[in-house]
Amino acid sequence: MREKSGNRVSFRTTALLLCALLGVSPAIAQEMTTSLVDIHQGSPLSDRARGLGDGGYELQNGNRLSFNQWYRASWVDMHVDLLTQITEDTGILWGFGTGEEGEKYRIEPSLKFGFLTQMHPSANSTLSLSLTTTIGGNLTEKSCQADYGDLGTYSVNCRLAAGEMAPEETLKYLVNAKPERQHLWLNYRVTF
Amino acid sequence: MSRSCRKVAVARPISCLNRGKNMSNNRWKFGIATALALLPASMAAAQEAAGPDPLGALCVGGQSNASICLSATLPTTPSQTVQSWMSPDVGAAWRAGYRGKGVTITIVDDFSSTSRFNGNFGIGVQNQRHGEWTREEASMIATLATIRSKDFSTSSSVTLAPGLNVLNLSYGMYAKAGYSSNQIGWSAEEASIISYATKGTAVVSKAAGNDSVAVGGITGGQQDYLDLALIGKTSAIFVGALNGNGTTSNPTGMAWYSNTAGSNPLVQSHFLVVGVAGDKTGLYGTSFAAPIISGYAAIVGSKFTKATPTQVTNQLLNTARTDTLIGYSPSVYGKGEASLSRALAPVSIK
Repeated sequence: MREKSGNRVSFRTTALLLCALLGVSPAIAQEMTTSLVDIHQGSPLSDRARGLGDGGYELQNGNRLSFNQWYRASWVDMHVDLLTQITEDTGILWGFGTGEEGEKYRIEPSLKFGFLTQMHPSANSTLSLSLTTTIGGNLTEKSCQADYGDLGTYSVNCRLAAGEMAPEETLKYLVNAKPERQHLWLNYRVTF
Repeated sequence: MSRSCRKVAVARPISCLNRGKNMSNNRWKFGIATALALLPASMAAAQEAAGPDPLGALCVGGQSNASICLSATLPTTPSQTVQSWMSPDVGAAWRAGYRGKGVTITIVDDFSSTSRFNGNFGIGVQNQRHGEWTREEASMIATLATIRSKDFSTSSSVTLAPGLNVLNLSYGMYAKAGYSSNQIGWSAEEASIISYATKGTAVVSKAAGNDSVAVGGITGGQQDYLDLALIGKTSAIFVGALNGNGTTSNPTGMAWYSNTAGSNPLVQSHFLVVGVAGDKTGLYGTSFAAPIISGYAAIVGSKFTKATPTQVTNQLLNTARTDTLIGYSPSVYGKGEASLSRALAPVSIK
Protein backbone atom coordinates (compact mmCIF):
# COMPACT_ATOMS: atom_id res chain seq x y z
CA MET A 1 0.00 0.00 0.00
CA ARG A 2 1.08 3.55 -0.60
CA GLU A 3 2.39 5.04 2.56
CA LYS A 4 4.01 8.41 2.77
CA SER A 5 4.66 8.34 6.45
CA GLY A 6 5.70 5.62 8.79
CA ASN A 7 3.67 7.03 11.61
CA ARG A 8 1.07 4.61 12.64
CA VAL A 9 -2.00 5.55 14.53
CA SER A 10 -4.46 3.16 15.93
CA PHE A 11 -8.05 4.14 15.36
CA ARG A 12 -9.53 0.86 16.35
CA THR A 13 -13.03 2.07 16.98
CA THR A 14 -13.24 3.91 13.70
CA ALA A 15 -11.83 0.97 11.84
CA LEU A 16 -14.35 -1.34 13.37
CA LEU A 17 -17.15 0.89 12.23
CA LEU A 18 -15.72 1.06 8.74
CA CYS A 19 -15.37 -2.69 8.68
CA ALA A 20 -18.97 -3.04 9.64
CA LEU A 21 -19.92 -0.80 6.77
CA LEU A 22 -17.76 -2.67 4.31
CA GLY A 23 -18.66 -6.12 5.55
CA VAL A 24 -15.21 -7.00 6.69
CA SER A 25 -15.00 -9.39 9.54
CA PRO A 26 -14.13 -7.97 12.96
CA ALA A 27 -11.35 -10.47 13.22
CA ILE A 28 -9.60 -8.82 10.33
CA ALA A 29 -10.42 -5.42 11.69
CA GLN A 30 -8.66 -6.22 14.88
CA GLU A 31 -5.50 -6.40 12.82
CA MET A 32 -6.16 -3.20 10.91
CA THR A 33 -3.74 -0.39 11.08
CA THR A 34 -4.17 3.22 10.20
CA SER A 35 -1.40 5.19 8.61
CA LEU A 36 -0.93 8.86 8.06
CA VAL A 37 -0.84 9.32 4.30
CA ASP A 38 -0.50 13.03 3.94
CA ILE A 39 -0.57 16.20 5.98
CA HIS A 40 -0.34 19.62 4.45
CA GLN A 41 -1.53 23.18 4.83
CA GLY A 42 -3.21 25.13 2.07
CA SER A 43 -5.45 24.19 -0.79
CA PRO A 44 -6.66 25.64 -4.08
CA LEU A 45 -9.40 27.41 -2.13
CA SER A 46 -6.87 28.81 0.33
CA ASP A 47 -4.90 30.14 -2.62
CA ARG A 48 -8.04 31.61 -4.12
CA ALA A 49 -8.93 33.35 -0.87
CA ARG A 50 -5.44 34.74 -0.68
CA GLY A 51 -5.80 35.98 -4.26
CA LEU A 52 -8.85 38.00 -3.28
CA GLY A 53 -6.52 40.07 -1.15
CA ASP A 54 -4.73 41.46 -4.17
CA GLY A 55 -5.62 45.05 -4.93
CA GLY A 56 -7.43 47.85 -3.21
CA TYR A 57 -8.85 51.29 -3.79
CA GLU A 58 -9.04 54.76 -2.36
CA LEU A 59 -11.76 55.82 -0.01
CA GLN A 60 -13.44 59.19 -0.40
CA ASN A 61 -10.86 60.86 1.80
CA GLY A 62 -8.07 59.50 -0.37
CA ASN A 63 -6.83 56.92 2.13
CA ARG A 64 -5.68 53.79 0.39
CA LEU A 65 -7.49 50.64 1.42
CA SER A 66 -5.83 47.30 0.78
CA PHE A 67 -7.85 44.11 0.46
CA ASN A 68 -5.05 42.15 2.03
CA GLN A 69 -6.21 42.87 5.55
CA TRP A 70 -9.52 41.14 4.82
CA TYR A 71 -8.22 38.02 3.12
CA ARG A 72 -5.47 36.75 5.36
CA ALA A 73 -5.82 34.13 8.04
CA SER A 74 -3.79 33.39 11.12
CA TRP A 75 -4.27 29.68 10.49
CA VAL A 76 -4.13 28.13 7.04
CA ASP A 77 -6.46 25.25 6.25
CA MET A 78 -4.67 22.01 7.24
CA HIS A 79 -5.54 18.70 5.60
CA VAL A 80 -4.78 15.35 7.20
CA ASP A 81 -5.26 12.21 5.08
CA LEU A 82 -5.24 8.77 6.66
CA LEU A 83 -5.47 5.26 5.35
CA THR A 84 -6.96 2.39 7.30
CA GLN A 85 -5.94 -0.89 5.81
CA ILE A 86 -8.72 -3.45 5.72
CA THR A 87 -7.25 -6.23 3.62
CA GLU A 88 -3.90 -6.66 2.02
CA ASP A 89 -5.08 -4.81 -1.07
CA THR A 90 -7.88 -2.64 0.22
CA GLY A 91 -8.04 0.31 2.51
CA ILE A 92 -10.26 3.11 3.61
CA LEU A 93 -9.04 6.61 2.88
CA TRP A 94 -10.31 9.22 5.21
CA GLY A 95 -9.26 12.56 6.58
CA PHE A 96 -10.25 16.02 7.48
CA GLY A 97 -9.48 19.68 6.84
CA THR A 98 -9.45 22.23 9.62
CA GLY A 99 -10.76 25.09 7.51
CA GLU A 100 -9.62 28.67 7.90
CA GLU A 101 -11.14 32.06 8.42
CA GLY A 102 -10.22 35.61 7.57
CA GLU A 103 -12.10 38.80 8.27
CA LYS A 104 -14.07 38.59 5.03
CA TYR A 105 -14.09 34.90 4.14
CA ARG A 106 -14.35 31.47 5.65
CA ILE A 107 -13.35 28.02 4.50
CA GLU A 108 -15.41 25.60 6.52
CA PRO A 109 -13.91 22.40 7.96
CA SER A 110 -14.12 19.36 5.72
CA LEU A 111 -14.22 15.58 5.94
CA LYS A 112 -12.87 13.19 3.36
CA PHE A 113 -13.93 9.57 2.80
CA GLY A 114 -13.00 7.05 0.17
CA PHE A 115 -11.28 3.80 -0.56
CA LEU A 116 -8.11 2.53 -2.10
CA THR A 117 -7.73 -0.82 -3.74
CA GLN A 118 -5.00 -2.45 -5.74
CA MET A 119 -4.40 -5.50 -7.84
CA HIS A 120 -1.35 -7.10 -9.38
CA PRO A 121 -1.73 -7.83 -13.08
CA SER A 122 1.71 -9.39 -13.00
CA ALA A 123 4.34 -10.17 -10.42
CA ASN A 124 6.11 -6.88 -10.89
CA SER A 125 3.20 -4.58 -11.58
CA THR A 126 0.52 -2.95 -9.47
CA LEU A 127 -2.68 -1.27 -10.54
CA SER A 128 -4.16 1.04 -7.90
CA LEU A 129 -7.49 2.79 -7.81
CA SER A 130 -8.80 5.22 -5.26
CA LEU A 131 -11.93 7.30 -5.03
CA THR A 132 -12.51 9.92 -2.37
CA THR A 133 -15.36 12.28 -1.58
CA THR A 134 -15.06 15.52 0.35
CA ILE A 135 -17.85 16.91 2.47
CA GLY A 136 -17.79 20.55 3.50
CA GLY A 137 -14.79 22.79 2.95
CA ASN A 138 -16.72 25.49 1.06
CA LEU A 139 -15.20 28.92 0.62
CA THR A 140 -17.65 31.69 1.46
CA GLU A 141 -16.84 35.37 1.00
CA LYS A 142 -18.50 37.75 3.42
CA SER A 143 -20.01 41.11 2.52
CA CYS A 144 -19.07 44.54 3.87
CA GLN A 145 -21.09 47.50 5.04
CA ALA A 146 -20.11 50.50 2.93
CA ASP A 147 -20.98 54.03 3.97
CA TYR A 148 -21.40 56.26 0.91
CA GLY A 149 -22.18 59.38 2.87
CA ASP A 150 -25.25 61.14 1.51
CA LEU A 151 -26.04 58.14 -0.64
CA GLY A 152 -26.51 55.84 2.33
CA THR A 153 -25.06 52.64 3.69
CA TYR A 154 -25.17 49.47 1.64
CA SER A 155 -24.25 45.86 2.02
CA VAL A 156 -21.64 45.34 -0.70
CA ASN A 157 -18.96 43.10 -2.05
CA CYS A 158 -15.95 44.55 -0.21
CA ARG A 159 -13.75 44.38 -3.30
CA LEU A 160 -16.19 46.07 -5.67
CA ALA A 161 -17.47 48.83 -3.40
CA ALA A 162 -15.59 51.58 -5.21
CA GLY A 163 -16.45 50.49 -8.75
CA GLU A 164 -19.21 51.58 -11.07
CA MET A 165 -21.45 48.73 -10.19
CA ALA A 166 -24.55 49.45 -8.16
CA PRO A 167 -23.86 48.42 -4.54
CA GLU A 168 -26.57 45.80 -4.50
CA GLU A 169 -25.26 44.36 -7.78
CA THR A 170 -21.82 43.74 -6.30
CA LEU A 171 -23.24 41.09 -3.98
CA LYS A 172 -23.73 38.84 -7.00
CA TYR A 173 -19.97 38.61 -7.28
CA LEU A 174 -19.22 37.36 -3.78
CA VAL A 175 -17.15 34.22 -4.08
CA ASN A 176 -18.88 30.99 -3.11
CA ALA A 177 -16.67 28.11 -4.14
CA LYS A 178 -16.66 24.42 -3.40
CA PRO A 179 -13.60 22.23 -3.13
CA GLU A 180 -13.05 19.31 -5.45
CA ARG A 181 -15.87 17.06 -4.35
CA GLN A 182 -14.72 13.75 -5.80
CA HIS A 183 -11.30 12.60 -6.72
CA LEU A 184 -10.56 9.51 -8.76
CA TRP A 185 -7.00 8.27 -8.84
CA LEU A 186 -5.71 5.49 -11.02
CA ASN A 187 -2.12 4.38 -10.97
CA TYR A 188 -0.24 1.60 -12.73
CA ARG A 189 3.23 0.84 -11.53
CA VAL A 190 5.77 -1.51 -13.02
CA THR A 191 8.90 -2.42 -11.13
CA PHE A 192 11.92 -3.59 -13.14
CA MET B 1 -38.55 91.08 -28.44
CA SER B 2 -35.56 91.02 -30.68
CA ARG B 3 -33.41 88.04 -31.32
CA SER B 4 -29.94 88.43 -32.66
CA CYS B 5 -26.63 86.71 -32.61
CA ARG B 6 -23.59 88.89 -32.44
CA LYS B 7 -19.87 88.70 -31.93
CA VAL B 8 -18.24 90.66 -29.17
CA ALA B 9 -14.59 91.15 -29.81
CA VAL B 10 -12.98 91.55 -26.42
CA ALA B 11 -15.03 91.18 -23.29
CA ARG B 12 -16.87 88.16 -24.62
CA PRO B 13 -14.77 86.95 -27.49
CA ILE B 14 -17.71 85.39 -29.15
CA SER B 15 -21.08 84.71 -27.82
CA CYS B 16 -24.50 84.10 -29.06
CA LEU B 17 -25.93 86.90 -27.01
CA ASN B 18 -29.54 86.61 -27.92
CA ARG B 19 -31.25 88.84 -25.46
CA GLY B 20 -34.68 90.27 -25.63
CA LYS B 21 -36.12 92.58 -23.04
CA ASN B 22 -39.68 93.49 -22.24
CA MET B 23 -40.57 95.61 -19.28
CA SER B 24 -43.70 94.25 -17.75
CA ASN B 25 -44.89 94.93 -14.21
CA ASN B 26 -41.44 96.13 -13.36
CA ARG B 27 -39.96 92.74 -14.36
CA TRP B 28 -37.51 91.98 -17.09
CA LYS B 29 -38.52 89.30 -19.50
CA PHE B 30 -35.83 87.18 -21.03
CA GLY B 31 -36.77 85.73 -24.32
CA ILE B 32 -33.81 83.75 -25.51
CA ALA B 33 -30.93 82.26 -23.64
CA THR B 34 -27.40 83.48 -24.02
CA ALA B 35 -24.64 81.08 -24.94
CA LEU B 36 -21.51 81.36 -22.90
CA ALA B 37 -18.41 82.66 -24.57
CA LEU B 38 -15.77 80.51 -26.14
CA LEU B 39 -12.26 81.64 -26.80
CA PRO B 40 -11.71 83.39 -30.11
CA ALA B 41 -9.11 80.97 -31.39
CA SER B 42 -11.61 78.19 -31.65
CA MET B 43 -14.41 80.31 -32.92
CA ALA B 44 -13.35 83.14 -35.15
CA ALA B 45 -12.23 81.04 -38.04
CA ALA B 46 -14.94 78.52 -37.71
CA GLN B 47 -18.13 80.47 -37.58
CA GLU B 48 -20.07 80.17 -40.72
CA ALA B 49 -23.59 80.07 -41.93
CA ALA B 50 -25.09 76.65 -41.99
CA GLY B 51 -28.42 74.95 -42.00
CA PRO B 52 -30.07 74.02 -38.75
CA ASP B 53 -29.12 70.86 -36.93
CA PRO B 54 -31.40 68.26 -38.54
CA LEU B 55 -32.09 66.85 -35.11
CA GLY B 56 -32.14 70.00 -33.06
CA ALA B 57 -34.44 71.57 -35.61
CA LEU B 58 -37.19 69.23 -34.55
CA CYS B 59 -38.08 71.56 -31.72
CA VAL B 60 -38.14 74.90 -33.48
CA GLY B 61 -40.57 76.60 -35.81
CA GLY B 62 -43.83 74.72 -36.09
CA GLN B 63 -42.95 72.58 -33.14
CA SER B 64 -41.97 75.39 -30.85
CA ASN B 65 -44.16 74.01 -28.09
CA ALA B 66 -42.16 70.85 -27.95
CA SER B 67 -40.00 70.97 -24.89
CA ILE B 68 -37.59 68.30 -26.00
CA CYS B 69 -36.08 68.51 -29.40
CA LEU B 70 -34.38 65.19 -29.56
CA SER B 71 -34.40 62.04 -27.60
CA ALA B 72 -31.73 59.41 -27.59
CA THR B 73 -30.23 59.18 -31.07
CA LEU B 74 -27.12 61.20 -31.57
CA PRO B 75 -25.82 62.42 -34.90
CA THR B 76 -22.43 60.91 -34.25
CA THR B 77 -21.51 57.65 -32.64
CA PRO B 78 -20.22 58.31 -29.12
CA SER B 79 -16.62 57.37 -28.70
CA GLN B 80 -15.93 54.45 -26.38
CA THR B 81 -12.31 55.49 -25.95
CA VAL B 82 -10.83 57.39 -23.04
CA GLN B 83 -9.61 60.57 -24.70
CA SER B 84 -6.60 62.57 -23.64
CA TRP B 85 -8.79 65.46 -22.52
CA MET B 86 -10.67 63.26 -20.08
CA SER B 87 -9.67 62.63 -16.50
CA PRO B 88 -8.05 59.21 -15.97
CA ASP B 89 -10.91 58.68 -13.53
CA VAL B 90 -13.24 58.23 -16.46
CA GLY B 91 -11.33 55.24 -17.81
CA ALA B 92 -11.19 53.69 -14.37
CA ALA B 93 -14.88 54.25 -14.04
CA TRP B 94 -15.70 52.63 -17.35
CA ARG B 95 -13.74 49.47 -16.68
CA ALA B 96 -16.46 48.18 -14.40
CA GLY B 97 -18.98 48.60 -17.16
CA TYR B 98 -21.43 51.21 -15.91
CA ARG B 99 -21.48 54.37 -18.00
CA GLY B 100 -24.53 56.34 -17.06
CA LYS B 101 -27.12 53.77 -18.01
CA GLY B 102 -30.62 54.62 -16.84
CA VAL B 103 -29.87 58.32 -16.48
CA THR B 104 -31.11 61.07 -18.80
CA ILE B 105 -28.98 64.10 -19.56
CA THR B 106 -30.86 66.96 -21.16
CA ILE B 107 -28.66 69.46 -22.94
CA VAL B 108 -30.32 72.88 -23.00
CA ASP B 109 -28.36 74.74 -25.62
CA ASP B 110 -28.19 76.05 -29.16
CA PHE B 111 -29.19 73.44 -31.71
CA SER B 112 -30.64 75.64 -34.40
CA SER B 113 -28.54 78.75 -35.00
CA THR B 114 -26.21 79.26 -37.91
CA SER B 115 -23.20 79.59 -35.63
CA ARG B 116 -20.80 76.70 -35.87
CA PHE B 117 -17.19 76.28 -34.93
CA ASN B 118 -14.41 73.73 -35.19
CA GLY B 119 -13.13 71.45 -32.50
CA ASN B 120 -11.88 67.94 -31.96
CA PHE B 121 -12.81 65.70 -29.05
CA GLY B 122 -10.35 63.12 -30.29
CA ILE B 123 -12.59 61.67 -32.96
CA GLY B 124 -11.62 64.04 -35.74
CA VAL B 125 -12.18 67.72 -36.47
CA GLN B 126 -15.84 68.62 -36.61
CA ASN B 127 -17.73 71.82 -37.30
CA GLN B 128 -20.74 71.98 -35.04
CA ARG B 129 -23.10 74.22 -33.14
CA HIS B 130 -22.48 74.99 -29.49
CA GLY B 131 -25.16 72.57 -28.34
CA GLU B 132 -23.91 69.84 -30.60
CA TRP B 133 -20.49 70.16 -29.00
CA THR B 134 -21.73 70.07 -25.41
CA ARG B 135 -24.05 67.19 -26.25
CA GLU B 136 -21.21 65.24 -27.79
CA GLU B 137 -18.96 65.87 -24.82
CA ALA B 138 -21.50 64.67 -22.26
CA SER B 139 -22.23 61.59 -24.35
CA MET B 140 -18.54 60.75 -24.51
CA ILE B 141 -18.28 60.78 -20.71
CA ALA B 142 -21.51 58.96 -19.92
CA THR B 143 -21.67 56.75 -22.96
CA LEU B 144 -24.75 54.83 -21.91
CA ALA B 145 -26.81 57.74 -20.67
CA THR B 146 -29.80 58.85 -22.66
CA ILE B 147 -28.96 62.24 -24.13
CA ARG B 148 -31.75 64.67 -24.99
CA SER B 149 -31.39 68.01 -26.68
CA LYS B 150 -33.49 71.05 -25.84
CA ASP B 151 -33.02 74.04 -28.09
CA PHE B 152 -32.98 77.05 -25.80
CA SER B 153 -34.56 79.30 -28.37
CA THR B 154 -37.89 77.56 -27.88
CA SER B 155 -38.24 78.89 -24.31
CA SER B 156 -40.72 76.14 -23.51
CA SER B 157 -40.40 74.35 -20.21
CA VAL B 158 -37.95 71.50 -19.86
CA THR B 159 -39.62 68.21 -19.06
CA LEU B 160 -38.03 65.43 -17.05
CA ALA B 161 -37.69 61.82 -18.09
CA PRO B 162 -38.33 58.85 -15.80
CA GLY B 163 -35.36 58.08 -13.55
CA LEU B 164 -32.53 60.39 -12.65
CA ASN B 165 -32.33 63.60 -14.68
CA VAL B 166 -29.33 65.81 -15.28
CA LEU B 167 -29.71 69.18 -16.97
CA ASN B 168 -26.70 70.71 -18.66
CA LEU B 169 -26.68 74.48 -18.95
CA SER B 170 -23.67 75.69 -20.89
CA TYR B 171 -25.15 79.16 -21.30
CA GLY B 172 -26.01 82.20 -19.26
CA MET B 173 -28.71 84.83 -19.28
CA TYR B 174 -27.11 88.24 -19.20
CA ALA B 175 -28.73 91.59 -18.65
CA LYS B 176 -27.93 94.94 -17.12
CA ALA B 177 -26.68 94.50 -13.58
CA GLY B 178 -28.59 95.61 -10.54
CA TYR B 179 -31.72 93.51 -10.41
CA SER B 180 -32.36 90.62 -8.10
CA SER B 181 -33.19 87.30 -9.64
CA ASN B 182 -36.73 87.36 -8.27
CA GLN B 183 -37.37 90.50 -10.31
CA ILE B 184 -36.87 88.52 -13.46
CA GLY B 185 -39.89 87.25 -15.34
CA TRP B 186 -38.43 83.99 -16.42
CA SER B 187 -39.55 82.14 -19.49
CA ALA B 188 -41.11 78.74 -18.94
CA GLU B 189 -37.80 77.18 -19.87
CA GLU B 190 -35.64 78.79 -17.20
CA ALA B 191 -38.50 78.81 -14.69
CA SER B 192 -38.73 75.03 -14.99
CA ILE B 193 -34.97 74.62 -14.64
CA ILE B 194 -34.82 76.85 -11.56
CA SER B 195 -37.75 74.96 -10.09
CA TYR B 196 -36.02 71.61 -10.59
CA ALA B 197 -32.87 72.91 -8.93
CA THR B 198 -34.89 74.34 -6.05
CA LYS B 199 -36.89 71.17 -5.45
CA GLY B 200 -33.95 68.88 -6.11
CA THR B 201 -35.71 66.98 -8.87
CA ALA B 202 -32.82 67.20 -11.35
CA VAL B 203 -29.10 67.71 -11.11
CA VAL B 204 -28.46 71.08 -12.76
CA SER B 205 -24.91 71.49 -14.06
CA LYS B 206 -24.38 75.17 -14.85
CA ALA B 207 -21.30 76.55 -16.59
CA ALA B 208 -19.86 79.16 -14.26
CA GLY B 209 -19.11 81.70 -16.98
CA ASN B 210 -16.08 83.02 -18.79
CA ASP B 211 -15.65 86.53 -17.44
CA SER B 212 -12.99 85.87 -14.80
CA VAL B 213 -15.30 87.14 -12.08
CA ALA B 214 -17.08 85.44 -9.22
CA VAL B 215 -20.30 83.61 -10.06
CA GLY B 216 -23.05 86.22 -10.27
CA GLY B 217 -20.49 88.98 -10.55
CA ILE B 218 -20.80 92.02 -12.78
CA THR B 219 -18.81 92.30 -15.97
CA GLY B 220 -19.22 95.04 -18.49
CA GLY B 221 -22.20 96.27 -16.51
CA GLN B 222 -24.00 92.95 -16.93
CA GLN B 223 -24.75 89.93 -14.80
CA ASP B 224 -25.70 86.36 -15.52
CA TYR B 225 -29.11 86.17 -13.89
CA LEU B 226 -29.38 82.44 -14.40
CA ASP B 227 -26.33 82.10 -12.15
CA LEU B 228 -27.95 84.36 -9.60
CA ALA B 229 -31.20 82.42 -9.71
CA LEU B 230 -29.43 79.12 -9.08
CA ILE B 231 -27.40 80.25 -6.08
CA GLY B 232 -28.40 78.34 -2.98
CA LYS B 233 -30.51 75.87 -4.92
CA THR B 234 -30.39 72.30 -3.66
CA SER B 235 -29.26 70.41 -6.74
CA ALA B 236 -27.42 73.09 -8.70
CA ILE B 237 -23.70 72.84 -9.39
CA PHE B 238 -21.67 75.70 -10.85
CA VAL B 239 -18.79 74.38 -12.90
CA GLY B 240 -15.56 76.28 -13.46
CA ALA B 241 -12.74 75.37 -15.80
CA LEU B 242 -9.20 74.31 -14.97
CA ASN B 243 -6.30 74.39 -17.37
CA GLY B 244 -6.21 70.62 -17.33
CA ASN B 245 -6.86 67.60 -15.15
CA GLY B 246 -4.91 67.99 -11.91
CA THR B 247 -2.95 65.36 -10.08
CA THR B 248 -1.12 65.53 -6.78
CA SER B 249 2.19 65.36 -8.59
CA ASN B 250 1.14 67.86 -11.24
CA PRO B 251 -1.49 70.17 -9.78
CA THR B 252 -3.31 72.53 -12.06
CA GLY B 253 -4.85 75.97 -11.82
CA MET B 254 -7.92 77.86 -12.85
CA ALA B 255 -8.25 78.69 -16.53
CA TRP B 256 -7.71 82.41 -16.96
CA TYR B 257 -11.19 83.00 -18.34
CA SER B 258 -13.15 80.93 -15.83
CA ASN B 259 -15.45 82.52 -13.31
CA THR B 260 -14.60 81.64 -9.74
CA ALA B 261 -16.65 80.72 -6.70
CA GLY B 262 -16.19 84.09 -5.01
CA SER B 263 -16.88 84.92 -1.40
CA ASN B 264 -20.50 83.74 -1.18
CA PRO B 265 -20.56 80.52 0.88
CA LEU B 266 -23.70 79.42 -0.95
CA VAL B 267 -21.76 79.47 -4.22
CA GLN B 268 -18.59 77.99 -2.74
CA SER B 269 -20.50 74.98 -1.43
CA HIS B 270 -21.97 74.28 -4.89
CA PHE B 271 -18.99 75.06 -7.07
CA LEU B 272 -16.79 72.44 -8.75
CA VAL B 273 -13.94 72.69 -11.20
CA VAL B 274 -12.86 70.27 -13.92
CA GLY B 275 -10.13 70.22 -16.51
CA VAL B 276 -10.96 71.75 -19.89
CA ALA B 277 -8.09 70.74 -22.09
CA GLY B 278 -8.61 73.28 -24.84
CA ASP B 279 -5.07 72.73 -26.02
CA LYS B 280 -6.14 69.24 -27.04
CA THR B 281 -9.66 69.89 -28.28
CA GLY B 282 -9.55 73.46 -29.49
CA LEU B 283 -12.57 74.06 -27.29
CA TYR B 284 -12.25 76.45 -24.38
CA GLY B 285 -14.73 77.78 -21.90
CA THR B 286 -16.78 76.68 -18.96
CA SER B 287 -19.32 75.57 -21.56
CA PHE B 288 -17.13 72.49 -21.84
CA ALA B 289 -16.71 72.07 -18.11
CA ALA B 290 -20.40 71.66 -17.33
CA PRO B 291 -20.93 68.61 -19.61
CA ILE B 292 -18.14 66.79 -17.79
CA ILE B 293 -20.00 67.21 -14.50
CA SER B 294 -23.22 66.21 -16.24
CA GLY B 295 -21.50 63.03 -17.36
CA TYR B 296 -20.11 62.37 -13.89
CA ALA B 297 -23.54 62.87 -12.36
CA ALA B 298 -24.96 60.33 -14.80
CA ILE B 299 -22.27 57.79 -13.94
CA VAL B 300 -22.80 58.27 -10.20
CA GLY B 301 -26.53 57.96 -10.81
CA SER B 302 -26.05 54.74 -12.73
CA LYS B 303 -24.26 53.24 -9.75
CA PHE B 304 -26.61 54.51 -7.07
CA THR B 305 -29.82 53.79 -8.88
CA LYS B 306 -32.03 54.91 -6.00
CA ALA B 307 -30.17 58.14 -5.33
CA THR B 308 -32.04 61.42 -5.59
CA PRO B 309 -30.64 64.29 -7.68
CA THR B 310 -29.77 66.09 -4.46
CA GLN B 311 -27.84 63.08 -3.19
CA VAL B 312 -25.92 62.79 -6.45
CA THR B 313 -25.19 66.53 -6.33
CA ASN B 314 -23.91 66.32 -2.78
CA GLN B 315 -21.84 63.26 -3.55
CA LEU B 316 -20.01 65.10 -6.32
CA LEU B 317 -19.56 68.19 -4.18
CA ASN B 318 -18.42 66.37 -1.06
CA THR B 319 -15.85 64.22 -2.82
CA ALA B 320 -14.07 66.96 -4.75
CA ARG B 321 -10.29 67.09 -4.35
CA THR B 322 -8.28 70.08 -3.26
CA ASP B 323 -4.84 68.47 -3.38
CA THR B 324 -4.72 68.53 -7.18
CA LEU B 325 -5.06 72.31 -7.37
CA ILE B 326 -2.48 75.06 -7.20
CA GLY B 327 -3.10 77.27 -4.18
CA TYR B 328 -6.50 75.89 -3.29
CA SER B 329 -8.91 78.44 -1.94
CA PRO B 330 -12.69 78.05 -1.63
CA SER B 331 -13.17 81.51 -3.08
CA VAL B 332 -11.48 80.39 -6.29
CA TYR B 333 -12.18 76.68 -6.62
CA GLY B 334 -15.25 76.24 -4.42
CA LYS B 335 -15.32 72.62 -3.28
CA GLY B 336 -12.43 71.69 -5.58
CA GLU B 337 -11.77 69.45 -8.55
CA ALA B 338 -14.47 66.89 -9.15
CA SER B 339 -13.25 63.33 -8.63
CA LEU B 340 -15.35 60.64 -10.20
CA SER B 341 -13.40 57.84 -8.54
CA ARG B 342 -13.95 59.31 -5.11
CA ALA B 343 -17.61 59.99 -5.79
CA LEU B 344 -18.00 56.29 -6.43
CA ALA B 345 -15.97 55.17 -3.42
CA PRO B 346 -17.30 54.68 0.08
CA VAL B 347 -16.49 57.02 2.95
CA SER B 348 -15.73 53.98 5.02
CA ILE B 349 -16.18 50.26 4.77
CA LYS B 350 -16.10 47.48 7.29
